[in-house]
Amino acid sequence: MTENNPIDQPAIHQLVDHLFRHESGKLVAVLTRVFGSDNLDLAEDVVQDSLAEALTQWQYRGVPDNPSGWLFRVARNKSLNILDRERRQQRYSAEVRAGLLAGGTLESSVDLLFSEQEILDDQLRMLFTCCHPAISPDSQIALALKTLCGFSVAEIARSFLTPEENIRKRLTRAKQGIREAPLPFEVPVGAELHRRLDTVLSTLYLLFNEGYNATSGEDPIRYDLCGEAIRLAGLIEQHPAIRDRSAVYALLALMAFNASRFKARQDREGRLLTMAEQDRSLWDRALIANGIDYLRRSMQAGPDSIYYWLAAISAHHALAPDYASTDWPGILGLYDGLLRMEDSPVVRLNRAVALSMVEGPQMALQELDRLQEDATLQTYPYLYSTRAEMYLRLQQFPAASACLEKAIACSTLEKEAERLRERLAFCREKIS
Amino acid sequence: MLLIHNTMDHTAKLSPEEMQRFLKDCMDYINRLVSQGKLKGAQPLVKEGKIISGSRGSWKDGPFNEAKEVIIGYYHLLAKDIDEAIAIAKENPEFAYTATARIEVRPIRTIEKSTGFLYPSQE
Repeated sequence: MTENNPIDQPAIHQLVDHLFRHESGKLVAVLTRVFGSDNLDLAEDVVQDSLAEALTQWQYRGVPDNPSGWLFRVARNKSLNILDRERRQQRYSAEVRAGLLAGGTLESSVDLLFSEQEILDDQLRMLFTCCHPAISPDSQIALALKTLCGFSVAEIARSFLTPEENIRKRLTRAKQGIREAPLPFEVPVGAELHRRLDTVLSTLYLLFNEGYNATSGEDPIRYDLCGEAIRLAGLIEQHPAIRDRSAVYALLALMAFNASRFKARQDREGRLLTMAEQDRSLWDRALIANGIDYLRRSMQAGPDSIYYWLAAISAHHALAPDYASTDWPGILGLYDGLLRMEDSPVVRLNRAVALSMVEGPQMALQELDRLQEDATLQTYPYLYSTRAEMYLRLQQFPAASACLEKAIACSTLEKEAERLRERLAFCREKIS
Repeated sequence: MLLIHNTMDHTAKLSPEEMQRFLKDCMDYINRLVSQGKLKGAQPLVKEGKIISGSRGSWKDGPFNEAKEVIIGYYHLLAKDIDEAIAIAKENPEFAYTATARIEVRPIRTIEKSTGFLYPSQE
């Protein structure tokens, strides 16, 4: 045993936030290519092992100059050992076999898969594999979080407020789907790419919304999920294979605008604030500028996605100096554009709010009455809370109270229910 | 001397994010001890090792059992007494991130008081 004497200060290099998590995502993608998508579990084990190795060494001697390179070297060596052990069975992934057939050694064939461009490609391959339509959306998100974002089962379960057992089942089903199909580990091309990109983007949008509008539980905002959705969308945006990026830019714009309001969305007690109540000086100007930039690029590429219209609506809010000077006619026009792409009751509900600002709450209520017959909105708390707001503006307090009671009954989010109860108390005071 | 005992696979259940927080806390812990002049050395022990037992002629050298507890590292402290060493041991992040950690606190005998014999050391 030799001791460093006196011992060096270990923390010479600071770690980038979430370095372990993000490197884990990259490594799982690369190793899935090395071992084949039917060996996803093996890839995950090797990555976990490599991170554990880093933890053991770095905690005593500090973080090396290039932590990411260090991790990749360790993971590469570990996977070479495994492939070497399996040499007799000749069980290689198609990629490694191709390298061997071309006359390379095991080592050179694996090294080809560890190059910089391949690492980006592999993450995109992983994203398209996770978001394959053969896998259910719930499982898609769980698998993407586990493999590409380095979340543990416990962390995924926590952020979805669901028991770990459920997440484990979703992951097992997703991996089974990959093995049984079997799903190729690749980014599709041509018309297939366009179709599949839609699924990937809608999964990322779901992931973002899961973080943004938690549908149950106490903590309404889980920004880590939003951050990961933005990061993964960024991977798509960077990739040369994706030519038609209009929808990608639009989704990035939409997420940037929503993320710009993170600091302003809750009061000190954690209650969610409406647009009218938020302190706009807390909005993140840099993110808004990012959003505008993405929106411009999306418009140039042709605004042909629902994300474009949603982002444009969000941009109007982001640019208004205060609630009163919001350009409501502009927003209403954009909702009409959105309706042409997607005529859904939720879009109509949101359009009704804009309508009320342009033509008054009475007009909006007529529209909302029609929506009340829609089965999908029967338990949607925002339908009732929006109706209540309209009645409040018309000073019709008994009708507003009735709507608020329904909204509270449908609400699954404690902070939201709390807010509604305050509104209800206010109404009742006015009635008595 | 702090001898850190834990199972071989004690980090297998940690998520990447937890590992990173664990790492950061360890680096802070070591930095704090160094800046207070209380740490002489600290090193991990390599996972792969052998346990030698038996006697001349019938040696047995078994590998470690993954699930079993082993010494995974040590801290050579310069503490004024065992109480201070115990207090330092209790702050070790190993306890916060794993449920299986045990730390053995053992003063090193440098001099034999009755004879004045100095045990051999590097210095």
